Parts: sequence; structure tokens; C-alpha cells
Amino acid sequence: MWKVFSYLKTYRVAIAAALFLTLAELAVELLQPLIMAKIIDEGILKGDLDVVKHWGTVMFGLALAAFAAGIANSFFSAHVSQSYGFDIRSRVFEKVQSFSFVNFNKFPASSLITRMTHDVTQLQNTVFMSLRIMLRAPLLLAGGVIMSLFVNWKLAMVLVVALPFLLFFLRWVLQTAGSMFRDVQDKLDGVNRVMRENLMGMRLIKAFLRRDHESARFEEASDDLKTQTVSSLRIIEVSIPVLLFVMNVGILFILWFGSRQVNLGAIEVGEVVAIVNYSFRISSVLTIISFIIMAFSRAKASAQRIGEVLDTEIDLVESEDTDHSLSVQKGNIEYKNVSFRYPDSEALVLQNVSFSVKSGETLAILGSTGSGKTSLFQLTPRLYDVTDGEVLIDGKNVKSYPIETLRKAIGVVPQEAVLFTGTVHENIGWGKEEATEEEIVQAAKDAQIHETVMKLPNQYETRVGQRGVNLSGGQKQRLSIARAVVRKPKILMLDDSTSALDLKTEAKLLTALKKYSCTTFIITQKISTAMEADHILLLDDGRVEARGTHTELLENSPLYVKIVQSQFGEEDFQHVKGFKQTSST
Amino acid sequence: MSKGSNRPHPHNHLFGEKVKPKNWSSTVKRIGSYFSDQKWLLSLVLLMVIISSALSLLGPFLIGVAIDTYIVGENAEGLTKLLIGLIFVFIGQSVSIWLQNYWMIGIAQQTVYRMRNDLFKQFHRLPISFFDKRQHGELMSRVTNDIENVSSTLNSSFIQVFSSILTLVGTVGVMIYLSPMLTLISLSIIPLMFFGLKWITKRTGARFKEQQRNLGEINGYVEEITSGQRIVKSFSQEKRVIEEFMIKNERLKESGYWAQTFSGFIPKLMNVLNNGSFALIAGVGGVLALNGKVSIGVIVIFVEYSRQFTRPLNDLANQFNTLLSAVAGAERVFEILDESKEERDEEEAIELSAVKGKVEFRDVAFSYEGDDQTVAGLNFSVKEGETVALVGPTGAGKTTVVNLLSRFYDADKGQILLDGHDIKNVKRNSLRSHMAFVLQDSFLFEGSIFENIRYGRLGATDEEVIEAAKLANAHSFIQKLPKGYNAILNHEGSGISQGQKQLLSIARAILADPSLLILDEATSSIDTITEVKIQEALQRLMTGRTSFVIAHRLNTIQQADQILVLHDGGILEKGTHEELLNNKGFYHSLYHSQLKQEA
Repeated sequence: MWKVFSYLKTYRVAIAAALFLTLAELAVELLQPLIMAKIIDEGILKGDLDVVKHWGTVMFGLALAAFAAGIANSFFSAHVSQSYGFDIRSRVFEKVQSFSFVNFNKFPASSLITRMTHDVTQLQNTVFMSLRIMLRAPLLLAGGVIMSLFVNWKLAMVLVVALPFLLFFLRWVLQTAGSMFRDVQDKLDGVNRVMRENLMGMRLIKAFLRRDHESARFEEASDDLKTQTVSSLRIIEVSIPVLLFVMNVGILFILWFGSRQVNLGAIEVGEVVAIVNYSFRISSVLTIISFIIMAFSRAKASAQRIGEVLDTEIDLVESEDTDHSLSVQKGNIEYKNVSFRYPDSEALVLQNVSFSVKSGETLAILGSTGSGKTSLFQLTPRLYDVTDGEVLIDGKNVKSYPIETLRKAIGVVPQEAVLFTGTVHENIGWGKEEATEEEIVQAAKDAQIHETVMKLPNQYETRVGQRGVNLSGGQKQRLSIARAVVRKPKILMLDDSTSALDLKTEAKLLTALKKYSCTTFIITQKISTAMEADHILLLDDGRVEARGTHTELLENSPLYVKIVQSQFGEEDFQHVKGFKQTSST
Repeated sequence: MSKGSNRPHPHNHLFGEKVKPKNWSSTVKRIGSYFSDQKWLLSLVLLMVIISSALSLLGPFLIGVAIDTYIVGENAEGLTKLLIGLIFVFIGQSVSIWLQNYWMIGIAQQTVYRMRNDLFKQFHRLPISFFDKRQHGELMSRVTNDIENVSSTLNSSFIQVFSSILTLVGTVGVMIYLSPMLTLISLSIIPLMFFGLKWITKRTGARFKEQQRNLGEINGYVEEITSGQRIVKSFSQEKRVIEEFMIKNERLKESGYWAQTFSGFIPKLMNVLNNGSFALIAGVGGVLALNGKVSIGVIVIFVEYSRQFTRPLNDLANQFNTLLSAVAGAERVFEILDESKEERDEEEAIELSAVKGKVEFRDVAFSYEGDDQTVAGLNFSVKEGETVALVGPTGAGKTTVVNLLSRFYDADKGQILLDGHDIKNVKRNSLRSHMAFVLQDSFLFEGSIFENIRYGRLGATDEEVIEAAKLANAHSFIQKLPKGYNAILNHEGSGISQGQKQLLSIARAILADPSLLILDEATSSIDTITEVKIQEALQRLMTGRTSFVIAHRLNTIQQADQILVLHDGGILEKGTHEELLNNKGFYHSLYHSQLKQEA
């Protein structure tokens, strides 16, 4: 948590300037009664108009100076708080970008988003406020007490005794409210989560008419937030009446004690009056103090939440023996006895998987739903690390490659085609920043999407993604293929990325991909696609069921035969069998 | 160091964008309308404010009395009585302050709660096309950042404003009583204040709006990047997204900087005006006193009162600040509430109680906003209970047909009839209640498997859910999960595969038991052996009800009563599998390409 506040250090000078300006303002404020007294005593009472004019001008000048100081303070305070907010947002975003998927599982997206926006705003506002009024309250408080001590230290002892109690109480409020506001922010995450789910699943919710169901769910989250906010704020607001009451009772005590002392002749009435006056001033500061407490407890909660993100330990990092000169040269891939389980679960998703693919070859991966195909994929670009065994590229463990170099050599097309808000051009170019116009168009052509793009309202400049035009599932898939091939990767990984493509388009696509001469992994359900590959790997429940060419598998693997039959029917099956045996052996 | 002084003036380009400060008094009124059902509680708050204000004046007054009569007069007994009386005054003061805050917090949060729920409900009333143009995170920002802005203002401002006005009125009354002339001088700062506030508001209003908008942009970007994290990582593009983020972050900082700086002027302006009036009273008062027009005592009291007078003004001014940013937040919420709803034309729309499932498309044409014609001249009819398969290349308009039938979008031209009723005259909810969907992107909610399947029919028993899962072939994998049907799926979908998600979606549709079944690529990520098994279940499900099936694997739709081959938004061929094969047309070549790749 303190780390979060430590980012303020950068702005020491500006902070000092802001605080100095606040002090200057405060000084003017304190000087004014004195000048006023001068005007009355030396000017008006003595009938000296010049003195009145003189000090009147001085007072006016000071007022203007205070104004200038105040305005300047605005600039400094805004600068510090906004830059501070900027810094934290940047740090958090950078940190999140270094997260592994295991780290991501700890923070739901909705929560990360609130932390990066709402929590930072909270901190930012507190900093701004602090620079402008924070000094006032304690100074006025201390000033009041010190002045009373000067007037009559015996009477002022009442205040001195009351003060630690007040401070202790404030500390308690700060602690309690701090942890309560922590809950408020967490509930806000909850509201955000339901909202996000609803936006993402809007079509489904509409289709199944679950508006009322979802509204009830949202209202529950919203009600949670309300209840928590209400009880946190109420704790804070208890502080003013309590503090006020304590101060007031203190004043009564001063009066009572004072009257006895006056009776004894130990002190003057004027002294009692003066101390009572100071006590009233101190009470009037209490409102500001409760305001400060509120801001601080919210800031504390937010700082904690941001701190958690910043303090997260990244568990997937480059190991010490990373060879920074290493880069993927050929693209030979070998999996050696690879086993894998997701970090948060117990069951092994992959068990003892071994195979190898030579540079330029194509490997098709088949298997039933949930057999571990996608999991197998993720290990090559190190989205996850193996639990056991090794993944080797060109004979070297993937862990010895610098992560960035490794991933730059790989083009991944995921199962769900995710596009970002931006133009078609930007989305394809996303794969390679320095891609030229020709490269992008070529990639689009190879991905069989060029013609479609040319029919869009603004061709390559048409916006897609969350705020873009409607693209069909197949069109999105092809754009995301173009995004992968524009990098001219050494290794291309297609995760069932052609499922929404019709077979003709798919065939053209696969032909076009051949000229990229990269090692290609294709997860597919379609035998027709698998038949084109150099090797087929058949997974079943996380194990390698069979591997070989289409013909070999037809001979050796009953499961493969079953799959073929499921797609072609008995009659066509014979046809496929015969056809492939004659043509590819 | 601050870059404040030598910074170029970016507000010119900020204003160039389409951020208009709206009439903010109407926005304030609208926020106020949310209070309406809590009037009585609100008047209690006001009552408490009046009481606490009165008591906070009474306390010091009584203490003055105590000093004058008892301490100076040395009457210890009377003093004790008065002090006891004072204790009650102070208790009353504290209690009334506590109560007003206690209630106000409740009122404010209830208001915010309603606003949040209104916004949420509004999202569900908006047409799908609304969401095509917006980022999720940007919309989410309105619920969190914007509404929370309103929230923090409402908590404190209302009481503050009211008690300030109260004090103001009281003080001015006493001042007029003491010296009308000096009062006039004190009040002379009010026009100046008004002018100053106007100047500042003009500058800050738009900037606060801008700030909230930029915050929304950031929210949108973060949401999108977090959702697409897999891509960012696989492509090793972390540096690039950080750079893009910085640009948006910078923009937010810039707008926030100016909003905060300008609004920071307000209290300072108040201060200088206060000090000015202070000096003015002293100066003019001094001259008047020299001329014997007023007594010195009056000046002294007046100075004290003018302090009293300016303090509430100061408080008001400080509130103004937060008020401005709250208004900016509220405006963005109302923007959404004012979007036109999906169901605006449905006053005479009917409910369909039972649906047989006869569907007819008559010369239907449609295009997505800003897009070329997506489909045109769609003519076909489906008898009740028939299965229709839609095939064709990607982008041919298959999903669009489904979108139109379910009224996610309304056709631009032509008619779609269900059992002879134009569906434009049927309530959307009624229409969709007769349909069940397996959509292309199988969306699962955070929650248990039970909950996710039960989404198809909320009243279904556990046994029915399990039965549906068995039919969809999802049962076996569910059983293998650590907690079976109670396993919690998190939204990012860790633990289950895309194909398994589809199985759950199918189970959901099976459970819904509709008159019309719509399967859009329902089995695209499922392996073919499982698919064959599900096919049997689906076949059973489809008998007797009208079904629309979109599929690429043609073997899954051979049984269809009717196959529509779509191409470039029109119907190219239609007929049964055999008919189309005999036609030797597009379908024929499509079908055979499945077997014979150009090897």
C-alpha cells in the first residue's frame, strides 16, 4: 500500500510549492484580524484617515496576493494529482501486461478495470484535496491549542487532555472506515462484473428473455453496494457529532472550572472568554477533519487494492539461463513427455505427450471435445509452462528463449476470433507493427478475406471490433488468420480456426498458407483438413492415442476410423479410404 | 515541476471534439426527480438541519449569557443549572446532526441505487444495434465511474447547500438590522461571485464531461485488452498496448488537469472576494465611523458577521466543484437513458400464446448500419414442424436471417410472418419466448454448470437439467469435473473447452423446449463423434418443431426438409438434399468439395 503513495515522491518540488502556497494563504488569513485591529485602534479611534487608507490598501494588496497564491496552488495541486493518477494507471497497466494467466485468474477483469479507473480517481482526488486543505485543519487545531496554552495553561489543559482522545478516536474511525470502504470497492467490482457479463452476453439474454432474471441479479449486486456504502458512510458521519459533543463538553468544563478559578481570583474573566473562543474555533475545524478522514479512508482502501495488483508476483518469467541471443531459426518442434495441469486444478490435462514436427511440416491435431488440444497449443508460446517434460524448438527448451523473441516467431490464431476496436488495416497490422500496405493486403488475400474487405464500406479503413461493423464468424476467423500470417511466422498455430469457414474457402486458405513454409499446427475437427497434413496427432483424454499419416491412422487407429466414419458415412468412407490410399502413398 | 505555466493550451483542441456542456440546471433537476419518492424523509432531514443550525446558534449564545451573568456575576449555583441545560442543547445538536447525516446517506444511496438500476434496465431495452457501436468497458464506466461521481456528491452536498443557505439568510437578516449600508457593501461581492462562477463553470463544465469521457475510453480500452489478453500475449504485443494506453492515459490526464485547475479557482475566487469585502467594510466602515455615521462596535460586529456570511458562501463554492463533476457524470448516464428503446413501436403489438411454427419470409431485405446490403430479396416459407438448413459461404447472410427472425434487428424491407402474423406486430418478448437458440458464440455466465444450463428454463428441476445435459452429451464431461454440476465456471472459461461450452449451450436449448429451435453453428467446435451422438438428440428435439439450422458440415443437415443455399445475401438454391445434388449447382459442388479436396 505504501508503495502506491510512494509514487508521489516524483512530485516533491511541486508538492512543496503547493503546500507553501497554502501556508501563504493561511498567513494572510491570520494577518487580517491584526490589520483590522490596527485600522480600528490607530486609525478610527485616533481619527487618522491616512492610517485607515494605508492599512486598507495593505489589506487589499494582501488579499490579492492570497488570491494569486490560491490560483497558483490550483495549478500545482492539479498537476501533482493528475500526474500521480497518470503514473499509477500506467504502472498498473504495465504490471497487468506482465501478468501470466495464473495471475489473471486471481483478478477478474471487472475488478482490474475498476482498480485502474475508479480506485485511481479516488486516490487522485484525495491528493488534490490534501494539497489544498489538509494543512489547514491540523494547523488551525494546533494553533488554537497553543494560543490557549499561552492565555492560561491551566484552563487549556482541558483541551490538551481532550485532544489525544479525539486523535485516538479519529484513528479508530479511519481504520474501521478504511476496511469498510475496502468492501465498498469490492462490491463495486461485483456491480461491474454483472454489468460486463450482461454486455457480453446481451444477445443470449435477449434470446432467452432473461431480462428480469438478470435485473434481479444486478439489483442484488447493486443493493449490496448500496448497503455497504451506506454503512461505511454512516460510520464516518458519526465522527462529527461525537467530536463536536466532546469539544462542547470540554467548553462546559472550561466554564465550570473557569468560574471557580475566577471566584478564587486565580484568573481573569477575559482569559476564560478567550479560551472558550479558541475552543469554538477548534470545533469549526472538525467538519474539515471528518471530510479528510473520509477521503483518507477511501484512499487507503483504494491504495490497498492497487497495491495488491502491483505486488502480485509474476509466476511466468524468463528464467536465469535465458539465452538472449537465441531466436527461432528453423521451427523444428518437439514435445518430450509433456504433462500439464492448469495451475489451479488437480487433474492432468495432458499426460506424457511426445511428438515432433520438422520445420515446414504441417501437423493436424484431432481429438474429442475436451481432450487437451488447446492446452497442448498453449505450451509452445509459453502461455503456460509445462508441469512435466519439455517443449523444444530447434532442440532447445522454449524456456531458454527470451519470451518476446519466442512469441514473435509464432503466429497464433485462437479458437475465438478476437478483434480489437480499430480498422481492418489496424487489426491485421496488429500482428506486425512495421507491416507495409502490401504485406497487409497480401496477408488478407492469403487468408481469403481480401474480397470481403473490399466490399466493406471503407475497405481496409472500416472499423471492426467492439465498435465496428457486423462481421460473420467466418469473416472474423479469417481476419484473425491474416493477423497471424502477416508476421510471416516460423511457427503457425491454428486452433480450430477454420470451423466457421466453408470447405471451399478453407481449401483455398490452406493452399495459400503452404507458401509460407512455416511449421504449422492445425487443430481441426475435419478429416478433410487433417488429410492434407503431413502428420496427424490424435489425442484422447490428454494422451496421444495415435500419430502418423492419414493412411497409417486408417490402418492402426480404430478411433480415427470412427471419426472418419462419423464424417463421411459408410459409403463415402470407402471412397475416402480408397481415394487417399491411391493418391498419397 | 509544474508544467502549468509553460504548457501549450490544449483546450482548443479539446473543445474541437464533440463535447457539449448541456444545460446543466436541467440535469440537476433530473437528479432531483429521483428524490421525489423520498420527500418525507427529505423533509425530516431539512427539519434536522434547521434544528441543528438553531442549536448551534443557541449554544454559543447561552455560553455568552453564562459568562456575562454567572462568571462575571459570580453566581455558581445558577451556573451549574445553566451548564446542565447546555449539555442538553449540545446533545440535541449532536443528535440532530447525526440524524440528518444518517438519513441523508440513506436517501442519497437509494437515489444512486435507482439510477444504477435504471441504467441497467435501459441497457436491456436497447436494441442490439446500439451495442454494435459501443465498447463494453465504455458503457461499464457509466455505471461505475459516472454514477459513483454522482454518489459522492449527493452524500454531502445536499445538507451542505441547505445549511449554507439557511445560515446565509439568517446572517443577512441580522446584518441588515445592524446597518443596511454596510450590508449593501458586503453583498456587493455577490454579483462578482456570480460572474466569476459563470466564467469558471463555462470552462469546467465541458472539461469535466471530457474527463469523464476520457475515463470511459480508458475503461473501454482496458476492458478490451483484458478480454483479448490471450492475443496480446501470443503476439507479444505488450509494449504496443502499453503505448496505446499511454496515449489515452495522457489525454485523460490533460482533461483532468484543466478540469481540476479551473474548478480549483472557485474557492480561491471566493476567498479573494471575502477578503475584499472584509477590506471594504473596514475601509468604508472606518470612513463612516470617522464621520460618526456608525459606531465602532457596529463595525467590529459587522466584520465578524461578514465572516459568518462568507463561510457558507465558501462552503457552497467548494460544493460547486464536486457538483460540476457529478453533473458531468449524470449527463452521461442520462444520455443512455435517453437513447431510443427497442420496443418503441409496439403499442399495438400482440402476444402470441401458442405458436405452430409456420414461417414465411416475403421479399425481405436488410443491411447493418453503414454496411452494404447484407441480405435482399429473401423469399421462402417453412411449414410447421419443418427443419430448414441454411448453408452458404461465410458472410452470405445466414446469421442475419436468424437475427431478423428473432428481431434482434428489424428488416428494412419486406415481411416476416410467423403463423401468418407479421412479426413486427408481435411483442419481442412474446416472439422470443417461443424460440430457443444455440448461438454462434456460446456464452457462459460466471456460475455453476447447473445455473448455466438452467438458464434455458429457470424453473427446471435438477433432474431435468441433468436429463438435458445427457441428451446434449455433456453429462460425461460434467461428471469428471471436481464438483460436477456444481462446478463454478468463471467467465474467462478456464477449465472447460470451447467444444464443451457448445455442449452446455445445446443442453440449455434442449431444456428450453421451444416451438422454434434455432441452431447457429451449434456444433462447430465439437468433434464429429460427439456430434453424431448429439445429432440423434437434436433430431429428436427437432421433430415436430420448426427448426433453423446453420451448419458448415453438410452431412449434419442432410435430413433437413429444406435447404436454403445463401450466396451474397440472396437465395441461390433451395430444395432437399437430393434435389440440390441432382441440380448439380452450388450445393452440389459444395458438398463434393467436402470429399474431394483439389488434391
